[in-house]
Amino acid sequence: MAQTKIQTVPTAADEAALLARLRAGDERAFEALVERHYGTMLAVARGYVKSRAVAEEVVQEAWLGVLKGLDRFEGRSSLRTWIIRIVANIAQTRGAREARSVPLSALAPEGDEAAVDPDRFRGQQDAFPGHWRQYPSDWEVLPEESLLGRETLDLVMRVVSELPPAQRQVITLRDISGFSADEVCAALDVSAGNQRVLLHRARSRVRAALEGHLDG
Amino acid sequence: MAEHITCQEVVELVTDYIDRALPADEAALFEQHINFCDGCIFYVEQMRATVATVGRIEEEDVPPETKDKLMAAFREWKRS
Repeated sequence: MAQTKIQTVPTAADEAALLARLRAGDERAFEALVERHYGTMLAVARGYVKSRAVAEEVVQEAWLGVLKGLDRFEGRSSLRTWIIRIVANIAQTRGAREARSVPLSALAPEGDEAAVDPDRFRGQQDAFPGHWRQYPSDWEVLPEESLLGRETLDLVMRVVSELPPAQRQVITLRDISGFSADEVCAALDVSAGNQRVLLHRARSRVRAALEGHLDG
Repeated sequence: MAEHITCQEVVELVTDYIDRALPADEAALFEQHINFCDGCIFYVEQMRATVATVGRIEEEDVPPETKDKLMAAFREWKRS
């Protein structure tokens, strides 16, 4: 189930063919590229700049940057990784000017953050320290619509939108846009370790919110 | 590393486990734990369900005016 988006990582052959069409001026290919990546780019830009309107401007500027660089793109990363790198760079610059932005270091996870409230585990004095006091519930027995329903999806959308920017960017790229861990590291210029921590915290927060909703 | 891990440790390793990013020795300890712990099996399943639910969020569409502008920029680029 969790693996459903993995296969969307493009192959080298797909990429070469797409690149050739773009360079040949194929409008359909460019239109499809825009449709495919616009939402992801907007989500990434919004991690760095204040308003949606500015994020939209950043994305448009990024597309101009893509066109400008297309002939020189060497394929050292995937095309989409390169595109996200461009939008992230522009958005970072814009964000720094706006002076609210996440400083570059904010892409590193801050402080400690437990995936699950420590009180849910038995203490050091207990016979089984670190074990569940009470098991999490079995979601497989829930009626199908409780996980698949609109209400649950709306909740998850809200929780994702309220995550700290770096966590939101990573979970969006990984779990919504289907980027691989390596692609995210290259696109956002984060280390493998930080990518994993940010994804882990983001998913853990969403799970906790879902638990509150489903078990509540 | 210890010869066993606790539930509290499992919940911190689960993302790497699902991503198959755990080193072999930790993956073995993880699996050994969930073989005997229903609570952690449920937890892993909850995380998988969470990932699947996040995956159902739709990305935003390009506004038509923006698309028109970008297509115009592409035609311009083609000519230059």
